[in-house]
Formats: sequence, C-alpha cells, structure tokens
Amino acid sequence: MKALLAFLPLFRQRGRAFGLALLLSLVTLLAGVALLGTSGWFITATALTTLGLGFNLFVPSSLVRGFSFIRILARYGERLVGHNATLKLLSDLRGWLFALLFPKLPLPDRSLRHGDLVSRLTADVDALDTAFLVAVGPWMAALLVGGGMTALLGFFLPGAALAYGLAMLGAALLVPIGLVWLSRSAGRASVAAQADMRMAVLDGAIGHADLTALGALGTAARRFEAASAIAASLRRRLGAYTAGAAAMVQMLAALALISTLWMGLLAVDAGHVEGPVMAGLLLAVLGSFEVTGMIVRSVGKAGAAMAAAERLNALAALAPPVAEPAKPRDIPEDGAIAFEEVSFAYPGLPPVLSGFSLTIAPGERIAIAGPSGSGKSTLLRLLLRLAEPQDGAIGIGGIGLEQFRSADIHAHMALLSQDSPVFIDTIRNNLLIGRPDASDADLWAALAEAQLDAHIAALPKGLDSIVGEAGRTLSAGQARRLCLARALVSRAPVLLLDEPSDALDRATELAFFGVLAAAAAERTIIMVTHAALPEGVVDRVLTLRNGRLCT
Amino acid sequence: MNRTPATPKDADRQAGKLLSRLQRHGGVALWVALLLPLAGGGLLVWQAWTLADVLGRAIESGEAPALLLPSVGLILALLAIRAGLGALGEQAGIAAAERIKQHLRQALFQNLLARSPRDADKASSGLAAAAIVDQVEALDGYFARYLPAALQAALLPLIFGAIILPLDWVAGVLFLVTAPLIPIFMALVGWGAQIATDRQARALSHLSGRFADRLKGLLTLKLFGRAEAETAGIVAASEALRKRTLKVLRIAFLSSAVLEFFAALGVAGIALYVGLTFIDYLHLRASPLTLHVGMFLLLMAPEIYNPLRLLASHYHDRATAKAGLVEIERQLGAIPEAGSAPVDIAPRSGPAIGIVLDKLILRTPDRMRAVLDEADLTIAPGQHVAILGSSGSGKTSLLETIAGLRPPESGISLDGRPLAEWSAAELRGRVFMLTQKPRLIHASIADNIALARPDASRHDIERAAEGAAIGGFAAALPEGLDTLIGEDGIGLSGGQAQRVALARMFLRDAGLVLLDEPTAHLDPALEDEIIGKVLDYCAGRTLVIATHSHNLANRLDKAWRIAGHGLVEAPHHRRKRGVA
Repeated sequence: MKALLAFLPLFRQRGRAFGLALLLSLVTLLAGVALLGTSGWFITATALTTLGLGFNLFVPSSLVRGFSFIRILARYGERLVGHNATLKLLSDLRGWLFALLFPKLPLPDRSLRHGDLVSRLTADVDALDTAFLVAVGPWMAALLVGGGMTALLGFFLPGAALAYGLAMLGAALLVPIGLVWLSRSAGRASVAAQADMRMAVLDGAIGHADLTALGALGTAARRFEAASAIAASLRRRLGAYTAGAAAMVQMLAALALISTLWMGLLAVDAGHVEGPVMAGLLLAVLGSFEVTGMIVRSVGKAGAAMAAAERLNALAALAPPVAEPAKPRDIPEDGAIAFEEVSFAYPGLPPVLSGFSLTIAPGERIAIAGPSGSGKSTLLRLLLRLAEPQDGAIGIGGIGLEQFRSADIHAHMALLSQDSPVFIDTIRNNLLIGRPDASDADLWAALAEAQLDAHIAALPKGLDSIVGEAGRTLSAGQARRLCLARALVSRAPVLLLDEPSDALDRATELAFFGVLAAAAAERTIIMVTHAALPEGVVDRVLTLRNGRLCT
Repeated sequence: MNRTPATPKDADRQAGKLLSRLQRHGGVALWVALLLPLAGGGLLVWQAWTLADVLGRAIESGEAPALLLPSVGLILALLAIRAGLGALGEQAGIAAAERIKQHLRQALFQNLLARSPRDADKASSGLAAAAIVDQVEALDGYFARYLPAALQAALLPLIFGAIILPLDWVAGVLFLVTAPLIPIFMALVGWGAQIATDRQARALSHLSGRFADRLKGLLTLKLFGRAEAETAGIVAASEALRKRTLKVLRIAFLSSAVLEFFAALGVAGIALYVGLTFIDYLHLRASPLTLHVGMFLLLMAPEIYNPLRLLASHYHDRATAKAGLVEIERQLGAIPEAGSAPVDIAPRSGPAIGIVLDKLILRTPDRMRAVLDEADLTIAPGQHVAILGSSGSGKTSLLETIAGLRPPESGISLDGRPLAEWSAAELRGRVFMLTQKPRLIHASIADNIALARPDASRHDIERAAEGAAIGGFAAALPEGLDTLIGEDGIGLSGGQAQRVALARMFLRDAGLVLLDEPTAHLDPALEDEIIGKVLDYCAGRTLVIATHSHNLANRLDKAWRIAGHGLVEAPHHRRKRGVA
C-alpha cells in the first residue's frame, strides 16, 4: 500500500478526470438503485390501491423513465472518462519510468535482467495504471453507495440498517483487505514467474543456433515448460483467492438481503412501515449489490498493482551511480585530459586500477594496450563518469570531472564500445542517434569514413533500409562499422574507442585505422585495443598492466 | 515476418476457428466452467419466485412473519448455494484457461525451436517473446470468462422467457423479443470495434518490441544524450496508442450502452406495465394479476438482461483473443496443431570427419546476394584449417551451413556422405560448433558449460573451464563457476562469454569442430594460451576456424581465403604446433 502511495503525485495529476469518473459511476449506481426501488414501491402501491384510475401515475412513471436514461448516459460517460484518464496515466507512467531509468544507468544490479526490465516496463506499468479504474474507483463507490443505503435504511427500517451496514462494510473493507493480504506474495511471485518465462523464451530465441548446434533444444524446451508451469499454478492460486472472496461477498450480500427482508416483514407486521415502502427498500437493497459485485473483481488486481508498485519503487530508489554538480562548469574545448593516481575496484572484487596516471593533450591520439580484463574498458567508463574512482582524480583542462554535468561529458566524448548495439530501425535513424540534426550528406560522409558507404548504397532502400536485431542484415563487422559511423556523426571532440576493430579482418582493419587517422585529424582519440596498430594511427601506445601504465 | 492473411475478415474467421480448436484442450474444467453458471441461473428463478411469494403473502395477504420463516430460510439457502456454484465455476474457468494457454505456449515454443535457427524469415527474439508470453496471455479472458458468459447469454434469457411466458404473456413476449435483439445490436456495434482492436494489438506489439530493443541499448542512448528525446519518443508512442485505443473504446462502449438501454427499458417497462395493470389502466391479461406474480416479473426483469450484461463486460475478451491470435500468427507463422517436444541429442564418440565442398553455392540469409559461387574445397579428416576473408565475405555463413544451422544446401559432404543424409542425432552428436556471438542462458557458468553434456561430472566441467582459461576470472566472481550469469552474459565481457561457450567443446568428443572467430576478443597472450589448448584437444579431430587472426591461422595446417565468391589457398607460414 505504501508503495502505491508513492505514485500518488502521478495519480493526482489526473485527479480531476478520475474524480469525474467516480462521480459518474456513483450516478450510474444510484440511478440503478433508485430505479429498482421506485419500481418496487410503485407496483406494490398500485397493487394495494383502491383508487384505480385516480392513482397519481405521473410522478412515479416519469421517475422510472428518468432514472433509466440517467443510468444509460452516466454509464457511457463514466467508462469513456475513466478509460481515457487511465490511458493518460499509462503514458505518464511510461515516461516517468524511462526518465527515471536514464540517470540510473548503468544499473548496478546484475539481476536486473533485460527480459525482467521489459516486463517491468510493460506489465508493471499496466498493472499500476488500471489501479484506479479497477481497484480504487469501485471500492470508493461501494463505500459511498453502501453508506448511503445504510442511512436510508436507518431512516425507514432501523432494525435492518445495522446488519446491512455491517455486511456492506465486510464486503467493501474486510474481504478486500483479506484478499489483498492473501494474494500479495502470490501476486509478486506471479509477476516474477512471467519474467522468468519471458527469459526462457529469449534464451531459446536468441541462443537458438547455439542450442541447436549443441543438441540442447530439449533442455531449452524443458526449462521453458517448467517456467510456464510455475506461472500457471501461481495464476490458478490467485484465481482461487479471488473466486473465494467473490463467494464471501455474495454471502455477505445474501445476509444483508435476508436481514432486510426479515426486519421488513416484522416492521410491516407491526405496522411500523407500509408494504410499498418495504418492497421498495428491499429492491433497492438488491440493486445496491451491483456495486459489491465489482469490488472483488477489481481487488484481485490490486495485489498485482501493489507488487508492481513495489518493484518500480525499488528501481526508483536506486541511487544514481554518480552525483551531478550543483554548479556545473563548462568543459574547456581544448583542455587536456588527466588521470592522477586513480584507483578503482568493482564492489567485492580485486582492484582494476591502482595509482594510474596519464595525461592526454588535446588532439593527441593514443592507444592503450594490455591483457584482457586488465582494466582498459574501465578506464573509458571512468572517463565517461559512469563510475567514480575510489581514489585519485580525473579532469579535463584542470577541472575535475565531478564539476561537469554528465550530459556535457557525454557530448564531449563519443564512445564506440565492445557491445554498441544496432537498433531495429532504419540505417538513417541508427546514425541520427549520434546527432539528430545531421544532414544526409553528413551521414554518407560518416559511412564513407567507416567504409560502409558502398554496402549501404547497394541496398535497395539505401539509408532507409531497416537493420534487424543485432544488425542481422549486416555482418558482425559491418554492424560494428555502422556503430563507428554513428560515433563519427556526433561532433564530439574526443573519440573513445573500445576494441574498434574487433571482428574486422586484418585488411579491413588496416584500412580502417588509416581512415580513422584521417577522419579524426582534429579530434582527440583514446583507443583501447589489442590489435597491432600500423605506423601513424596514434601518437603513443601505452600498455596497462596490474592497474598501472608501463612503458 | 509479414504473413498477414488476405483480408481482416478472413483473419477473423480463421482466428475464430483456432479458438474453437484450442477449446478442446480445456478438458473437464472447461465443461464445469460452462455448466455450473447455468445451474446457478435455474436456482435464481426459484429464489426470485420464493422472494416474490414472501412479499406477496406479507404485504397483500398480511401473513405473520413466523409463517414465512421457512420460505425466508429457503431463500438464504438458495443464495448460499448460488455463491458456492459461482466460485467453483470461476475457478474452473481459470484452470481451463491456464491449461489451454500452457498448451499453446509449449506448442509455439517447440515450433520456434523446430525451425531453422538462421531462418531469415524469423521474428526477432523480442517479438517472439512478446508473442509467446503476452499475446498468449490475451487468450485468458476468452476461455476463463467470455465462453461461460456467452453460453449463459445464449441460453438463460430464453429459459427465463419461456418460464415467464405462461405466467404473463405480455412480459414473456417483451423479454423474448428484446433479449435476442440485444446481441444483434451489439454485433452491429462490435463489428467496427473488432477491426479497430486488430490494429490495436499490432500497435501494442510494436510498442513492446520497441521497448525491448531500446532497453538493450539504453546506455548507448544515454551516452549520445538521447535520454530526453527517447523518453519523449516513448511517451509520444504511448499517447498515439491511447488515441487509437480510445477510438476502439468509443465504439466498444456504445455496444454496452445499447445493452444498458434495453436493460433499463425492460425494468421500467415491466414496472409500468404491472403498475398500470394493477390500477386497471391496462387490460391485456385474461386473469387478474397478483402481487406475487407482479413482483416476480419485476425481480426477473434485470436478471433477464444480466447474462447479456455479463457477456458485454467480457465481450472485448473475445476480440482481444482473436487479435492476439492474429498477431501470434503474424510473428510466428501458422499456429501448430501440437508440437512434438524436442529432445536433447547425446554427444557421440567416433573418428575425425572429413569435409568435401563440391560446387557449393551459398547465399546470404535474405537470399539477396551470393556468398560463394560453385566453390570447391576438401578438408581431410583430422586436418586443421583456417578460413580467412574480409568481414561480410561469408565465413560465418559457410561454417553455419557446414554445421547444418542454415537451410540445407547441396554440395556439402561430410565423411563422404551428403549433408542432407546425416540425421540430426548424428550431426549434432558428432559436430561441435562455436558461434560468433554465443548466447549464454540465464543459469550458472557451470550449467552453461554442462549444456554440452548434461551428465558431465563436476570434475569434467572444471577441466573444461580450465581448457577455455575461465578459471582465472571465474575465481574472482562471488560464487565461482556457480555464479548466475545474466542474459547476454551481462557481467561477463564478450570475450569471457565466448570462452564459457568454448569450454563446452572440451566436454565433447567431436569428430568435427567448427569455431567462428574464437579469439576475436582476446589479447595475444591469452589468444596463444587458448589456441594451444584448443589445438591439443583437437589433435586427431577435424578443426575449421573462421578467423581474422594471422597468428591463429599460422598455427593451423592450412588456410583458405574467401575471395571473389570462391575459396583460394592463402599464403601461410606454419609455425610448430604448441609453440607460443
């Protein structure tokens, strides 16, 4: 519940629309109750009347017709208004989550798997956005209608008011609370089970070739089967809770009806109440159960909404990896990049860098070599301020990195990393990520520099060709060069290259390095590689070993 | 990926057929879910009759409450039994839906695995996951709620009407005429909603696919300063979806308004008819009306329309299910009758396998471009060969075709037999392949290695890990080889993930080993160490390595280069085996 409250500001933003939806739903329900009550009173009164044609027909018959039309219109309006507000909330939530995720990157927790994240974005947000429409709204309507009906009974049939009020209270409060409490852990487990199932599909789909080659498709199918069986059994358990709660609410409604009936019979017998009024009240009570029927269906989903809220909050509570400066300074365009006695270790692991120092002059091109896992990539991460060193300082032009806005740092340095992705999109859009306002000429120039222009030009749709998952219409080497082109499109004065020629053959690699040297004439290059570099590509080659540079 | 049936109408009809086919898998639970509500409906008539009787006797005849007590008790009992039947029916519906969904998911996943892994027509993995997990979930409401509601809506109003007709022909006719009219009106309205719902499902699936893809590259997007633009993009896509959805809802809610109209009209009509009859304004009945019967008619008036109202509230479940099925077919192809569960293939032992390529023609997966045109090559059993070539020249295609991972091509013989004549059991049992970007499954490192031989002992797995030089970095992980590795080997670098996949080779006694750029991510020292171990292990086995590394190529017996759609022998300076 507390987790759900954290989203109150987002809900409040759509408060007026939700309020209108609630009001319309109340009008709908009350019109229904009034319609049945008036009808019951009307036919009983006419049955008892001796006036014949002298009976005043006009008022009751117009009331009956009026309530019918109010109900029809209010129901339509309520549903449209409520759903529109919910969908707006859904957009709000999605935007909120995306905006929230970016500053938290890179996420520290390895258990935040990709499949899991996707399910968080879609399922959790979906579960949360319907919280009002299916959980809060009907519940509030039940309390209000139940309260109103109790007051009405208190006036006409005091003996029945207490029993009715208690039964409605039980149906609107106790049963839902019990249901939420019961389904909480199962609801949470169910969301996790869905994510596991998705993961099993992704393992099978992305690893299809590997699994086929290993003859391990049976294992993949079994893992999926197990995951989907767990998901199904959890859903059955949740369903059983909901069905049980629905039966309890129906029982409470039955008790309310029977006690109203019995008290009514006694009151009529004693002459405290007239027959038509008693019949009208009884039918109104029957009509008021429409509202209890809705709560249970909705409360079952409240558990899922709370679990979703908790998971989203956990994501929101993650601290950003680095703090942004209060008074950011501008990055000096031609400042030297300097590492001074920098030490860094990943949590719980041995240090990667210890006492590392290096100065790179503007326009200088350097390469850093060293064995796998020696911390070459970590250097680039520290320079992009994706992590902060435990000791020492990193700065540009004599100003510490922590005094710049992260966005400025990222605009200053473009990274081509080992795992730069190609997005399922057109080649043009993939490149425009580097610089949204780049012209076609800029894009072709960058493609030429990455030696991909001939290939793209030969494609039937050119720049508008869609590249598939992991750049499937491109080879691995071509996908890498597309990412390089994207880095080149950006106007960043510093290029960070993390194993840029990986997956390129030696001939292409040599040509690539030649082009890189020409293309980046004005830029600073910091390259991490174990490739043997031809003369003239970089000014210096340094070797990283045991966390420090050796010459 | 675009297997759209000819027209939306055809697609709709096909989806309807599919739904009734899937229905068979619901078992007894589905029958229980369908029949219990009907029994509950019968009890409802009895309950209303008794309640009207109690009111009539108390108000019209002034009977004492004590005399009415048995009837009041009966009403309570009927209410309790109906509550119980309702819960049982609901639970049975959920159980049936889960059975059907589980069955369909398995069939779809098995079908996905049964296809050729490099089928160019295949859906992206994100869309496949969305289809199997989310779109199948869209069937839930249809079986759990819509079907039982549809049966109730078809039968209960008619049963109620038939019971009422002999009691009062006017009310009976009113019910029997209006009740069937409602579905007709609703169908008219629902028609438009269906088309809009189809479009809706497609938009939803695209949005989900976009999430998946963008999420993978979230860090890249952040580094290019795209945080705000991408957030705005997601919100815009979501808002576009909202507008689209609202269009569907405006029509969909109209159908429930039609229903509400008839239901309210029914109650109001009965009330006025009964009231006017009582005060002798209307004389449509032969016999005088008692309060008992009049009250019964009024109590039944909302109940006549209730099954229809229930159906209306679940009406979209059917449209959602149909649209879901259409979307699944769009992404994954025709929905399979029942998949046969794939079985693991045990590794086999045996001699080295020779390869002969005879006028091999090889195309890119999209069949746009020829990679090899009538290429010839002979690799003797036990020979170690490098395949060189510029990136994109087709090294990967060649290796994967020899491994039988791509649609079969003629012109390849293994051990003197055409590849097509090899059974899957033989081929997978005897050939080991390391792909270029191996995917690690979400399990521990040890489990990932053991995929190659599930019965491998812990000792074997540790030795295999040593063979691929994993020990060093694994020791630094919190739980060593038992550390859970995330998807795409998050937490492992590309090189480390590839070494985990390479370790699998050491659990196999393969006659042919195909390695696609096994040392691409390694520095020279580690490359030398791993090549040494691989070559030692592959002594007496046929080994084909696609690589850029001349250092690696020079340590093999021979090197071939893909150039100009053919294979030419590359100049090559062999170093002695085992020397770093």
